[in-house]
Amino acid sequence: HWAQRHRELFLRVDLSDVRNPDITITDNVLHFRAQGHGAKGDNIYEFEIEFLEPVEPKPVCRMTQRQLNITVQKKESNWWERLTKQEKRPLFLAPDFDRWLDESDAEMELKEKEEEKINKMKIESRVPKDPFKHLKKGYLIMYNLVQFLGFSWIFVNMTVRLFILGKDSFYDTFHTISDMMYFCQTLALMEIMNSLIGLVRSPLIPSVVQVFGRNFVLFVILGSLEEMQSKPVVFFIFYFWSITELFRYPYYMLSCMGIEWKPLTWLRYTVWIPLYPLGGLAEAVCIVQSIPIFSETGKFSLGLPNPLNVTIQFPFVLQIYLIALFLGVFVNFRHLYKQRKHHLGPKKRKMK
Amino acid sequence: EVEILDARTRDKLCFLDKVEPQATVADIKNLFSKAHPQWYPARQSLRLDPKGRSLKDEDVLQSLPVGTTATLYFRDLGAQISWVTVFLTEYAGPLLIYLLFYFRVPFLYGPRYDFTASRHRVVHLACCCHSFHYVKRLLETLFVHRFSHGTMPLRNIFKNCTYYWGFAAWMAYYINHPLYTPPAYGDEQVKLALAVFLVGSKTRKIPYPTRNPFTWLFLLVSCPNYTYEVGSWIGFTIMTQCLPVALFSLVGFVQMAIWAQGKHRSYLREFRDYPPLRSPIVPFLL
Repeated sequence: HWAQRHRELFLRVDLSDVRNPDITITDNVLHFRAQGHGAKGDNIYEFEIEFLEPVEPKPVCRMTQRQLNITVQKKESNWWERLTKQEKRPLFLAPDFDRWLDESDAEMELKEKEEEKINKMKIESRVPKDPFKHLKKGYLIMYNLVQFLGFSWIFVNMTVRLFILGKDSFYDTFHTISDMMYFCQTLALMEIMNSLIGLVRSPLIPSVVQVFGRNFVLFVILGSLEEMQSKPVVFFIFYFWSITELFRYPYYMLSCMGIEWKPLTWLRYTVWIPLYPLGGLAEAVCIVQSIPIFSETGKFSLGLPNPLNVTIQFPFVLQIYLIALFLGVFVNFRHLYKQRKHHLGPKKRKMK
Repeated sequence: EVEILDARTRDKLCFLDKVEPQATVADIKNLFSKAHPQWYPARQSLRLDPKGRSLKDEDVLQSLPVGTTATLYFRDLGAQISWVTVFLTEYAGPLLIYLLFYFRVPFLYGPRYDFTASRHRVVHLACCCHSFHYVKRLLETLFVHRFSHGTMPLRNIFKNCTYYWGFAAWMAYYINHPLYTPPAYGDEQVKLALAVFLVGSKTRKIPYPTRNPFTWLFLLVSCPNYTYEVGSWIGFTIMTQCLPVALFSLVGFVQMAIWAQGKHRSYLREFRDYPPLRSPIVPFLL
């Protein structure tokens, strides 16, 4: 009886009490000779089979009480249409239905074996032998801590001044707070780096958009125009930014350490709902107020002739930016809302 | 028999009996469009599994793993337009638009500049190069290109034309402007730029995966046609020293890099002994 797989052949000889088995392969011919009890009683049984295609000359035999199993390796991984070189099937040869598989089933068997191997490898590699793991965690905790402290300072400072000076504090917010805000927002560039190099699993584009958006307002609009710095809208921009960050950074810090404080999670995923649009609105107001100043001074605008052969009308750029700002806030709002549902919705969920 | 269901709703859309086993998917699509004339064959995507790959038009019904009644899932690809039409419109636009600016047709620049000519030699050269580039592309579309699919979704034509025509207008405006500033390093810069541009234009060949590479760049890069294209535009940028041209080259480069990466990956999947040294678009780098 015989069966095949892509790489090997299985032969089964039904003989019990086999003694002195002599199984060899020479010139691609299998010679079988053994003494045992078979169809014709106790006798010496022998046969020869010339294989269709070359095989390895080292058969592997396993004997049980009732049969002999011979496994022969094919030299080339191929599917044979028959076992023997001769076209006519030898009378003593029959298919081994217990082990028989047709070609597509055998392929599937192979594929399954491959998949098992891959899965095993995956499981092994899932335990990351990461020597920098603690270093990375430490760095992230430090980063989030520093940002939290920075923004808390800003928030506390602004609140105290609000209580003491009232509305007057609006006018010199920039003067007192800007250094710390510059520091925190410059540091926020690291957040992009973290996402870029895969240190943090959050997506890259939202963080790029947020950091770029804020820094644009901070450095380009406010930083370069003295006239803008004494406007009240600055107070609101800084205030809204800092309150949102007051919840975001501690949440990240704790999640790095693997701790989850449910009230904080709730705050982090809820507080942005009023604050994010308000922040966007404050930024928009700021830009609208700055457009006339840019028109008048011609700052950042470039007229012909110039070596780059292009004209930049900065007020026009800002108008386009405003449209992009509203679209961006809208899109991001939806994204954050989905995130909120994902994190707060289901009861027991592993944190991302 | 062939049964066609909607891929999303699983509604039975059509039942075709007496389909020959040797019928191809294209034949089935034709029969289907007789029952639903609003879905002409180019718009149909038939697949064996609602989430699977689309079947090719050349596939024969007999060779598909189906029983006596084949169940195919249909997806509407939306209104289609032929590739040739899209390419011709895409390329004819910039050609004409640039010439409008070159000849300073009224209402583009001030009235005192109407129909005047630029006094810089490089502007005339730039016009020749730009026009030559697009004429070449038009001729290639008509005589050389062979497309695997005959059509693409209709909205692509609006998207592509906006991109090509918009940038062409933006570039042409500044290059042909009366206040145009010629390149800082004068003739040397222009000569170098012209050389780069010509190299990029001459050796561009559309690679077929099975053809043996002739040009040396094929040894280093999977999609040399994209590499040469970017090269041409960089040459044009240096020639005109114009920021909009640089931006156009950059955007084009990014887009082509993405396409090249995709092609590279599919080559790697298709050919087992793909040369490992090749990169998608920039030798050794990208």
